[in-house]
Amino acid sequence: MTLVKEAPARPAKERSAAPDAGRRGRRRENLAGYLFMSPWIAGFVFLTAGPMIASLYYAFTSYNLFTPPRWVGLDNFTTMFQDPRWQKSVEVTLKYVVVATPLKLLLALGVALLLAQKRRGQALYRAAFYMPSLIGASVSVGFVWRALFSDDAVVDRTQKIFGADVGGWIGNPDYVLYSLVALSIWQFGAPMVIFLAGLKQVPQELYEAAEMDGAGPFRRFWNITLPMISPVLFFNVLLESIHAFQVFGSAYVVSDSRCGPADATLVYTCYLYQKGFKESQMGFASAMAWTLVIAVALVTAVLFWSQKKWVHYEEAAK
Amino acid sequence: MTSATTPAVRSGNERRRTGSLAWHVGALLLLAVVLYPVIWVLGASFKPSKDIIASIDLLPTEPVWANFSGLADGISGISIGSFFSNSLMYAGLAVVGVVISSSLTAYAFAKIRFAGRNLLFTLMIGTLLLPYHVLLIPQYVLFRNLGYIDTLVPLVAGKYLATEAFFVFLMVQFMRGLPRELDEAAKLDGCGHLRTYWSIVLPLSRPAIITSAIFTFINAWNDFMGPLIYLNTPEKYTVSLGLMMFRDQEGISNYGSMIAMSLVALVPVIAFFMAFQRYLIDGMATSGLKG
Amino acid sequence: MRTSRNVERRTILKAAGATAATLGLAATTGCGGDSGTSSDGTVTIRYAWWGGEPRTIAMKKSIALFEKKYPKIKIKPEFTDYLAFWEKFQTQASGGNPPDVFQNAVTFLRKYDKRGVLMDLKTQADAGNLNLENFRNGVLANGQVDGKQIGIPVGANTMALVIDLNAFKKAGVEAKFGWTWDEYFAALQTIQDKLKIAGDTGYFTIMYLYDLYLRQNGKAFFTDSDLGFTEDDLTQWWEDGYKRVKSGLVTDPKKIEQVSPKSGLSAGLAASEFTWDNFSIRYQGEGESDYGLAPIPTTNGKDTGQYLGSLMLSAFSGTKHPKEVAQFIDFMVHDAEVGKIMGYDRGILPTTEQFDAFKPTDPNNKGVAAYEDEVAKAGVLGKITPHPSGADVIEAAFLRIGGEVAQGKTKPADAAKALFGEAKAAFAG
Repeated sequence: MTLVKEAPARPAKERSAAPDAGRRGRRRENLAGYLFMSPWIAGFVFLTAGPMIASLYYAFTSYNLFTPPRWVGLDNFTTMFQDPRWQKSVEVTLKYVVVATPLKLLLALGVALLLAQKRRGQALYRAAFYMPSLIGASVSVGFVWRALFSDDAVVDRTQKIFGADVGGWIGNPDYVLYSLVALSIWQFGAPMVIFLAGLKQVPQELYEAAEMDGAGPFRRFWNITLPMISPVLFFNVLLESIHAFQVFGSAYVVSDSRCGPADATLVYTCYLYQKGFKESQMGFASAMAWTLVIAVALVTAVLFWSQKKWVHYEEAAK
Repeated sequence: MTSATTPAVRSGNERRRTGSLAWHVGALLLLAVVLYPVIWVLGASFKPSKDIIASIDLLPTEPVWANFSGLADGISGISIGSFFSNSLMYAGLAVVGVVISSSLTAYAFAKIRFAGRNLLFTLMIGTLLLPYHVLLIPQYVLFRNLGYIDTLVPLVAGKYLATEAFFVFLMVQFMRGLPRELDEAAKLDGCGHLRTYWSIVLPLSRPAIITSAIFTFINAWNDFMGPLIYLNTPEKYTVSLGLMMFRDQEGISNYGSMIAMSLVALVPVIAFFMAFQRYLIDGMATSGLKG
Repeated sequence: MRTSRNVERRTILKAAGATAATLGLAATTGCGGDSGTSSDGTVTIRYAWWGGEPRTIAMKKSIALFEKKYPKIKIKPEFTDYLAFWEKFQTQASGGNPPDVFQNAVTFLRKYDKRGVLMDLKTQADAGNLNLENFRNGVLANGQVDGKQIGIPVGANTMALVIDLNAFKKAGVEAKFGWTWDEYFAALQTIQDKLKIAGDTGYFTIMYLYDLYLRQNGKAFFTDSDLGFTEDDLTQWWEDGYKRVKSGLVTDPKKIEQVSPKSGLSAGLAASEFTWDNFSIRYQGEGESDYGLAPIPTTNGKDTGQYLGSLMLSAFSGTKHPKEVAQFIDFMVHDAEVGKIMGYDRGILPTTEQFDAFKPTDPNNKGVAAYEDEVAKAGVLGKITPHPSGADVIEAAFLRIGGEVAQGKTKPADAAKALFGEAKAAFAG
């Protein structure tokens, strides 16, 4: 609901001028809109909507993927809320979202600001910083992460300098989640590139004018860069939060689909996967999925609502 | 600031030079941390297969080539090249699909005022929220009934139908950031939406489009679940599936060739990134447009 | 109540459109994508397995032999590793499109039988397309569920103790047939004292080992439909296990995780590990030491509780070519040449034709053969434990919850309670 309100409203004056031509124009606009949208509409109807509605229905059934689903009402939800492993997965996910998302975005923005300056070898730097994200969730990442965060490996040795010896993060239920967080932060390339693209759009004259007015780099960043890239910042905050809620790949890489030890990396989607695919409880998994949808939708709605306060769109500026 | 005296210029130059030095030192330090794991993987690919797992050394004591030379023989009777060409085909088709369909859709959301736009936009965002695992089996059944199992169709169909809301949304955000005067001017000149889309909005959205293309390429290249489920014939397997064939839970896994292949698999992705990133740098001459 | 439920379901399905409606069909129609009959009467069947490169190469050779003998049948191979195999199989099977013939394991038999995926091969045997004779040591029973033959064994394996031969020698301890658990742990203690390494990598999280222990005591892990032990039994087992982790007799579980996917034994973190005998080849490939198979410790000085398990071939109940599928399975388990090609990769060859044809030459195969021979001669082999539907889920839960105990995160009593709770849900699923 909030989302609908947020989309820019049509200016009133356009509507009042020349009612006849307006109506014809509107019809033409509608037609054009739907023509441009047609691939998405086809995709939505055929690929997304059906499976989505099916999964919503499954959420209220007991469904083992083979025999027809059996309606059980809210059973899946009540079982779920009482399930200690589900509670654990919520806890792990929230911890992950809250720690990983801001750190990743800060690093991405920092490096993007660094790379946005015109320097020698810029392209090379950019590719180098993007390298970790190119590797994706490959098996070799699993190997290297084990190697980095094991006992006596580089992270552990560094940690020992500061007097903390935990015997490595991997395999340690109290620390392994942070190796996952580290993996997510390490692959900061996607938001970085998006920040860079956003920074490219900031008109240089604004900086020149600000410099004329004697604004230091910090004020220039606060008064010009930040508002100008706010649509992109908004996009990154929104998408990285959604992705963090749905994280699966990095958990899979660090601890395969067991997401352990002791459920220490049991992120929400990993538990959903175990329930749906390892244990064939698709009804339960669907209930989990829709609970996640509602939770993330709330977060999304809050973000969309908040953008009025801090996101600066070109078209809304007038 | 106002009086451009000689000493001021000199100190400005000096400041710029030390600033540049500081920039490079800072960037390189950060890079060293960020690239350490990459160097580990590179080093590991020259370690004997036995020594790779749980090895805490960054570099091999005695580098061996066996992991790479072993790739030439292929795996289980399938040449490594076949995995690569399959992946390239998948990633290439995916990029074309995403760029076309997402930009069209995004243009409609950002630049056309049509009835129901807000509702559709909400729905589009909504599709971002559902974990894809629950969609997997219904979609599998759909493609099976259409007879497309063991082809690339199930993998790329969604890309041509703009189902990747991430990219649509990314482009919408960019297009909404474009100066409104531009398309209003185009409208006054009598341009229809197709012309405005093609000759004004599309070129100006290049950073977003290149970004989407790069992400799509990487995602398709690294996609594991899709190919695993839809491709049956091993000769049609992609690199991500081929990698798993070096793994053997009941016998001897060849981690050496696995890691070597995962490195070779990086080459096309890096090449794609390098080829297109300069368009990111060039971006667009925003200042010119504004003036 | 009943009607309104149905109406609701119908309207929702309708609303979901074609995509969702097809779901109902999925379970009933079994048309494989391209496993059809071509115009010249050639039949194509899809055959899927998991395994490494050596197995795949041997399989391809065996398939070529079959196609030569049956020119009208074409085999389309599909292969990947174990984890990927079951991820893929689950989706394909629930989408009504599993392979016509596939490798299967005891743990999954009842699960997929309950879901109607597996064909009863007895009818094909009766029709003369598949010979059920000449199976050794009664392994054919491993593929039987409720009087149906839903799997045909391709090998026989048994649980074993793999030991680091050098470590045992250096510590001056020896593994003997009929040794007791006390003797086993005493040996580990000597190893720990003398060599400063742990004795075992974590025996108490392995469901199949606990099963042997229970069998030694007149119980078993599973009955036909339930768990065959009590919460107190398991609490005791895990309490002992945790005690041994704390004393260092069993490797710190963190270390085991850190070296995975290598095994703790081949990483030199312990001197012994329990696993299936035909997997023992991996230790030579991964580790620096020499490894050998040793007897399972006993409770009464004789009975190890062992039985022969099996990998098998199963067929899809909805296959369009049941006859050809049966002929193929028959060839794969009886043909002497296939036996020579496959060797003991999936366990000791199941039929006398194949067993007699293959004479192992490499030390690993010889070791496995000698081990199973020894076990058979000792007369300790019993009937296989039943594996109710849900056994695969419980095996994973046993490993996970046992791991929590090992980490000191869950008290053994609470852990046992949790396992019983999850088992209940798994049996119902």
